[in-house]
Amino acid sequence: MTTSVGRRRVIYSNPSRAARPLPEASGRERFWWYFMRLSGLALVLLVLGHMFIMHVLVVFAGQEIDFAFVQSRWGTPFWRIYDGLLLVLAFVHGARGARTVITDYVTNRTARSLVIGVLLALAGIWLILGVLVLIFFDPGVHSVSGPVS
Amino acid sequence: MNRLFGYQVSWAELAWFGHRVSGLGVLLYLFMHIVETSTVLLGPDVYDAAVGIFKNLPARLLEVLLMAAVVYHALNGLRVIAMDFFPGLTIWYRPLTYGVIAATVIAMVPLGLIMITPFMPWGA
Repeated sequence: MTTSVGRRRVIYSNPSRAARPLPEASGRERFWWYFMRLSGLALVLLVLGHMFIMHVLVVFAGQEIDFAFVQSRWGTPFWRIYDGLLLVLAFVHGARGARTVITDYVTNRTARSLVIGVLLALAGIWLILGVLVLIFFDPGVHSVSGPVS
Repeated sequence: MNRLFGYQVSWAELAWFGHRVSGLGVLLYLFMHIVETSTVLLGPDVYDAAVGIFKNLPARLLEVLLMAAVVYHALNGLRVIAMDFFPGLTIWYRPLTYGVIAATVIAMVPLGLIMITPFMPWGA
């Protein structure tokens, strides 16, 4: 057809019936294909670990999630790094997943860029907020029974 | 066969749809969770009030739903990853999909019971 602009029509064949096929050309799409799967593997451990501690172990220990709980948790570098890794991976994985869903349903190009732009802006702001909280929370400030008192 | 928005769908298509819905739901929760957690910078009174909003049975039931979404998304994601990297596994496509759905339901029985325990007569 001569009327169509030279945009190549990509036909995905996916006989394996797995999720999306690996993009054939290397580049950004292929990077994200691998990223979603590898971050997904890491997140299975990170998220389920997080939820198991917060919703199962806390119940068994008869503890309450309150300020003192956060103070003791974020008093150790291990849990700050754990939560930081969880925060960044979950947000990037979630934003990329939402972007995939948007590109599947929003076909108008202007609307698509607009919706994806809003998504990325919101995700960026929230991610920065989360990272700042993790960095700047000071367990000693409101301490009543902290290590120095 | 099941029906979804008037379409006949298989369990496998429901599994795919569930992956999207659970993923978007958890992302939405994540936005709220960061706002709630960031109040920790405002001191014990504000933070304890913020997390206090979620310490009741209706909120706990929503958290059980969140747990179900995370467990399902994790298990189904593992199935997708396994089939993507080991295409031979796609022979077991159908049993693996049913297995994911069954494992989610089975896992949620003890998890749900533990999570609602503090608000139940048998709990503290």
